Amino acid sequence: MTQRLLDGKNALITGCTRGIGKSMLEEFARNGANVWAHARQLTEEFEARCAALSSQHNVNITPLCFDLINKDDMKSAVKLLQKSENRINVLVNNAGITYNALHQLTAEASLREQMEVNFIAPFLLTQHIVKLMLRHGGGSVVNVASSAALDGNPGRSAYGASKAALLCATRALSREVGLQGVRANVIAPGVTQTDMIGSMTDTVVNETVAGTDLRRIGLPRDIAGVAVYLASDLSGYVTGQVLRVDGGM
Amino acid sequence: MIDDNHTKLAAVFSEALGVDVGTINDELSYNSIPEWDSVAHMALVAAIEEAFDIMIDTEDVIDMSNFAKAKEIVRKYQ
Amino acid sequence: MLVPSACKNTLPNTLESTLILNQKNAVITGCLRGIGRETLALFAEQGANVWACAQAADEEFESFCGELAAKHGGWVKPIYFDLTDNDAIKGAMRSIQMDKKPVDCLVNVAGLTRDALVHMTTMDQLRQVFDVNLFAQVLITQYLTKLMVRQKRGCVINVASISGLDGNAGQLSYSASKAALIGVTKTLSRELGELGIRVNAVAPGVIDTEMNAIVPRDILASRVSRTSLGRLGGPREVAGTIAFLASDLSEYMTGQVIRIDGGMN
Repeated sequence: MTQRLLDGKNALITGCTRGIGKSMLEEFARNGANVWAHARQLTEEFEARCAALSSQHNVNITPLCFDLINKDDMKSAVKLLQKSENRINVLVNNAGITYNALHQLTAEASLREQMEVNFIAPFLLTQHIVKLMLRHGGGSVVNVASSAALDGNPGRSAYGASKAALLCATRALSREVGLQGVRANVIAPGVTQTDMIGSMTDTVVNETVAGTDLRRIGLPRDIAGVAVYLASDLSGYVTGQVLRVDGGM
Repeated sequence: MIDDNHTKLAAVFSEALGVDVGTINDELSYNSIPEWDSVAHMALVAAIEEAFDIMIDTEDVIDMSNFAKAKEIVRKYQ
Repeated sequence: MLVPSACKNTLPNTLESTLILNQKNAVITGCLRGIGRETLALFAEQGANVWACAQAADEEFESFCGELAAKHGGWVKPIYFDLTDNDAIKGAMRSIQMDKKPVDCLVNVAGLTRDALVHMTTMDQLRQVFDVNLFAQVLITQYLTKLMVRQKRGCVINVASISGLDGNAGQLSYSASKAALIGVTKTLSRELGELGIRVNAVAPGVIDTEMNAIVPRDILASRVSRTSLGRLGGPREVAGTIAFLASDLSEYMTGQVIRIDGGMN
């Protein structure tokens, strides 16, 4: 049988229940990866989907449920993950939240929450997982940021800043752990068809999409494809990079 | 043969630009109608190449400013 | 409710197979050795059919192409032409057109360098480098993207270099030509995006090829020490990213330059 792109890869993906994360879970499974599929809460539906993906693609898809902003929950989840005979070699920090607001109308609580979920939680989780990767000879960290982190869009100062923080930390990380075989890269999606764009008006979305070279909105599968690449050996000499997946904005 | 080219080329123009065959005459020019803009020009040239099984040089792509010129160019490559 | 218009033109899901380039037809230049050769091999492995372009007929190359075809089940057709000869390029492109198969992908790998410090760089050298590294690529791209327009789908991958992004002492002509190629990449993306054609570039760093075999060891070592991964890249690793950009995995990426440099600072 032909080797699949992610054969031998054991990945943790955060935020797997919907949007980009849901698509990532599917694409990773289809390409042969075993996945610890993170969601905040365990539901029957999620469990069933993980089981279905496992049997459909002959891999192990295991739900791993914890609250990202609860440090103790995170530690327990990592301990659980460590017990598996599969050694983790891919981490995808995908889960995130967004509240659009003009800079002058951004509530402090909203600012702090976005930093907490979009930057601090993935930072801490990456610390845990990279420690394991260093012990096992390497791995690939894939962090999902946003084009907002690079472009500074109106209404997205807090969100963009939280993603820019993650972007910067990822690049610094890549330079620190490269010699030990750990790569770290960032995906910067443009406008993608998920629940998250519910916070943008139709006019803004349509205008932005019309301004892309490909003249269409991004789909979760588009982002998932890039994550598969960064997790795989196809990108073996690529590290510290920020990949814009935005249809040519 | 010239008549054959005219009919066939008109059909290609019609399909590529999305205009009625009846509106196509020698004077039909690039940018004179909204359907024949720079983006459409690329698709039009590609369609002509495929229909007549020819490969048109860049100089001629630039020169193809109206339907009459297009006929000349096709003849040149046959 | 936004309907992604590109979806209407999407071919049946080629991702059903585990091969990422299943049944795609690609033109690759510079296939004789180095990055081009590894790209050819990886493309064939991943299910693509290839028009494999090289400068001049070569027995070893012919048999290599035959082996790839036999091993992976697709076709690999050698095409020979000199990049400094516009008529030869036109003839080669015409022969590709006459094969009457859709062209899904073009990979511009072929290129050369004429290293010299700025005050030792002659205008002739500069023109020579631009002829092969830029003008030929543009010409080939003009011909083949015209064919791609018919399917309203296709992609172009230009092999640039970190030299074109960062500059490199002793490589004025080379770095300038690669920087120009990057400019071309982005402009092509703007123009051809709405016709369904994606255009991206890769910028390889210090790669283990013949081009680097002549670089003094101590200079090579100092460049490698600036990489996060602390090693040379393999040509197959460059091929990996090129294959990604040719596949549907990168369907929403265009106008981008991906550095394949082990994290160089």
